[in-house]
Amino acid sequence: MAFDRRLLTHMNWALILSAVTIFLVGVMNLYSASSSMSEEGIALGTYYQKQLVWGGIGLLCMIGVMLVDYRHLRSLAWPIFLLAIILLAMVPIAGKTIYGAKRWISLGFMNLQPSEIAKIATILIAAKLLARSPKPLEWKEFFQVLIICAIPAAFILKQPDLGTTLNMLLNVGGIILFRGLSKGVFRTCIVALPACLPLGWMFMKDYQKQRVLTFLNPGEDPLGSGYHIIQSQIAIGSGQMWGKGFLEGTQSQLRFLPEKHTDFAIAVFGEEWGFVGCIILLALICLFLLSIFNTARDAKDRFGSFLSAGVFFYFFWQFLINMGMVMGLMPVVGIPLPFISYGGSAMLVNFCLIGLVVNVSMRRFVFKTN
Amino acid sequence: MSMHLDPEGYQPPKMGLLLLQGVVALLFLCFSLRFWFLQIHKGEDFARLARENRLRQERVYAPRGLLRAADGELLAENRPAYALGLVREDCKDIASTIAQISHWTNIPVETLWAKYFKDKPKVKPFEPLVLAPDIPFDLLAQIESNLILWPGLEIVVRPRRHYLQGPLFAHILGYVAEANEKELEGDSDLDLGDSVGKQGLELVLDTRLRGEKGLRQLEVDVMGRRLSRKEVLEPKAGESVKLSLDLGLQQIAYKQLEGQAGGIVVMDPDSGKLLALVTSPSYDNNAFASGLSGKQWAELRDDPYFPLQNRVIQSVYPPGSVWKILMAGLLLKEGVDPRESVHCNGEFYLGKTLFRCWKKHGHGRMDMARSLIESCDVYYYEMINRVGIDKVEAFARANGFGEQTGLGLPHERSGLVPSRDWKRKRFGESWQRGETVITAIGQGFTLTTPVQIACFISSLMNGGKLMQPSLLADAEPVVRRTTPLTEPQRAFLLKAMQDTVEDPRGTAKRLLTKGADIGGKTGTAQVVKLKFKNNDERVKNEDMEYWERDHAWMAAWGAKDGQRYVVVCMVEHGGGGSSVAGPVVKNIFDYLFDGKDGDDDGV
Repeated sequence: MAFDRRLLTHMNWALILSAVTIFLVGVMNLYSASSSMSEEGIALGTYYQKQLVWGGIGLLCMIGVMLVDYRHLRSLAWPIFLLAIILLAMVPIAGKTIYGAKRWISLGFMNLQPSEIAKIATILIAAKLLARSPKPLEWKEFFQVLIICAIPAAFILKQPDLGTTLNMLLNVGGIILFRGLSKGVFRTCIVALPACLPLGWMFMKDYQKQRVLTFLNPGEDPLGSGYHIIQSQIAIGSGQMWGKGFLEGTQSQLRFLPEKHTDFAIAVFGEEWGFVGCIILLALICLFLLSIFNTARDAKDRFGSFLSAGVFFYFFWQFLINMGMVMGLMPVVGIPLPFISYGGSAMLVNFCLIGLVVNVSMRRFVFKTN
Repeated sequence: MSMHLDPEGYQPPKMGLLLLQGVVALLFLCFSLRFWFLQIHKGEDFARLARENRLRQERVYAPRGLLRAADGELLAENRPAYALGLVREDCKDIASTIAQISHWTNIPVETLWAKYFKDKPKVKPFEPLVLAPDIPFDLLAQIESNLILWPGLEIVVRPRRHYLQGPLFAHILGYVAEANEKELEGDSDLDLGDSVGKQGLELVLDTRLRGEKGLRQLEVDVMGRRLSRKEVLEPKAGESVKLSLDLGLQQIAYKQLEGQAGGIVVMDPDSGKLLALVTSPSYDNNAFASGLSGKQWAELRDDPYFPLQNRVIQSVYPPGSVWKILMAGLLLKEGVDPRESVHCNGEFYLGKTLFRCWKKHGHGRMDMARSLIESCDVYYYEMINRVGIDKVEAFARANGFGEQTGLGLPHERSGLVPSRDWKRKRFGESWQRGETVITAIGQGFTLTTPVQIACFISSLMNGGKLMQPSLLADAEPVVRRTTPLTEPQRAFLLKAMQDTVEDPRGTAKRLLTKGADIGGKTGTAQVVKLKFKNNDERVKNEDMEYWERDHAWMAAWGAKDGQRYVVVCMVEHGGGGSSVAGPVVKNIFDYLFDGKDGDDDGV
């Protein structure tokens, strides 16, 4: 098969470039965040180097994902989904406990986190199921999708990993909204969702409830999660208009700020780059999201379009929840900031998902014959 | 694989696209506003907090609950202790600061560095790492005035336990000390440097006494100087606890044992409340609260008189003749007529083995009451030999021997009630009849604690209830079990004890007190086999090595105007129960009934 030049010309360059830019900002930020940590006797200063390596591997994965026509993935959605569930089911049996949660399966050379695979698999399956028809969603299909996607979510909730569960269900919810709901379903959901809140409360663990209460009243737990919120707001706020400059953040450099290299990374950025830097980063993030939006809009088939919408929501929720939490707009939930927080497997997943979207965008003019 | 495409001209859902664009716009708008709010609108405030003043959290120690005697006298309180702490983040030059601390306190620099590196991983950089835990008050002023020159150094004030009565209550209250690694790991409420109960009631009641720490928010400047403080969370003081022990009585009792090793138990027979619980020699538990030096600890540990031993619950002794009350009870229960007499000529032969009465030439005819009054051994040799060891064992156990009384202090011993099974397991030998004979007079293998004896005597007075002794004023009485004796049988034993005091030949007549009913039973427990000199003459206690002398016992009850008490005294290697333990108990009754704290040495 001759290589089709259109594959390159129609590639979503804006998406790739904005993603890589955000990733590089993240590495730079990580360099600053971890530069002061090495004194503690642990070599945390190498965080940014590891992040660079993961980013490189991520880019390779992205290219790998781009090579396989996404319409094959449509056929492979079920096998991938089932594999994810099997891996998830293995976690309680063969899993490895880290920080009190059983989320990993040891492969010897690395710890595999099946919930990361499940995130991709769920987006694939939801896109496939919802792409079957163009009409607004009716009850039967609604429940079908919901029940199927609830299976991996239930496993992940059990690990326990509320953040990922929430993320997964919100992604599915996003794709459902993208397709559109029939009036009956829509109306019922509007009423039923608030009614579910008390039920959700009942299922939450004590520390999770505590975080919500802390959010509503940060003075309640000033040493625990309240402490994070207070300190991260001081860090961001003290950046003022122009920021304190790279490596100059007193709050983060002086270790007032906890978890600054993972969930609270944006606080370091805010302190050092100020309002101007934050708005630029925010614009970059919006550009990134809009690039995915473009693919969803221009895709040539429903599956590609829905897949892109799923990826869109995957990133959207993480940006929203992480930044909301760090800036004191939301309760503290352990969700990282894509491309900016430290974390290898998340980086791989992020680039793979971008690969999917680019895959859709580059093939929007390709027609294949059987 | 089919590669079907949707019909050409696929249009994504309009509402969907609108939604996607909408949420991006919303995201941008919301967070722009939030950034503006935090960084521009509130930026000055946050910048001030960050640049000059930083928020820190500081724990506020909850005062530990006070411990009081029954009449409200304070036994344990909290006093401020001053420590020197180093806040790493504020410290410009850690090496010279540590050198300065060494200069002030005379603690070797190496010791300080060792502590620094040991605690560093456990203390946050902006929290004081305590290097010199106890600064004497006279040094304090000098250090404080120089503190300004040493950024990062601060005086940390922490409550320190102080025991007002020192040795008097040391074994009961125990002590607190800094929590060790294991305790820190096991209890998330504990932080490095916190004190926890290590012994005695401080240990047992630790969660009640501890309270809940509070939290204070501090604004500090770059030098670590405090600019403002705000209580975020009020500390909750620990619960204060009142003991059932009477301070005055405890003092009198402790004085009685001065220079001797032994223990005294004073108990309310009806409720099981302990009014005095004395063990001698004792130690000063304050030494533990301020951190014992290795030398001090070695001295205490290696003291031949074992001051750390609580002799009323942790030491076990042969009960000697005090045991005869229990044995008489057993005989009554077994249907022996108390009027049945045995002739004592000072000797009892079991086969060819000779067992002697303590009275060389014998007591003559002894019935049960007289055998108690005059403490005749031969009567019990003869009678208990008939009953057998199995019944002795069962009856002793039914009266609470061989088990802990549960008075609520750690390390209580359960004593030993020997049996055939026990001996087989312990020595691999079968039980000998001769061992039954010596068990009858409280010798041989039998071991008891003074508290067990007190519980048993109490059960005779209170209708057969074996109480769980308690040290706390507000404790509900707990009946452990009911003894098998009937009311007339108990009355008989009490009467015999009273006669032991009132009869001219009674061994406890030293206890005789006008206007009060008092019963007693002496005991002289041999530590080593009887020694005989010139074939027949028993070696006097005074001529023996201290460690070979007999233990002196006195178990007594007293009643006057509705007040009822049980007093048990045990003097280790004290000699005769009557002459040594007797006066002690007499003085205690004098205090209990007449408020006399005179020192009648009874001679």
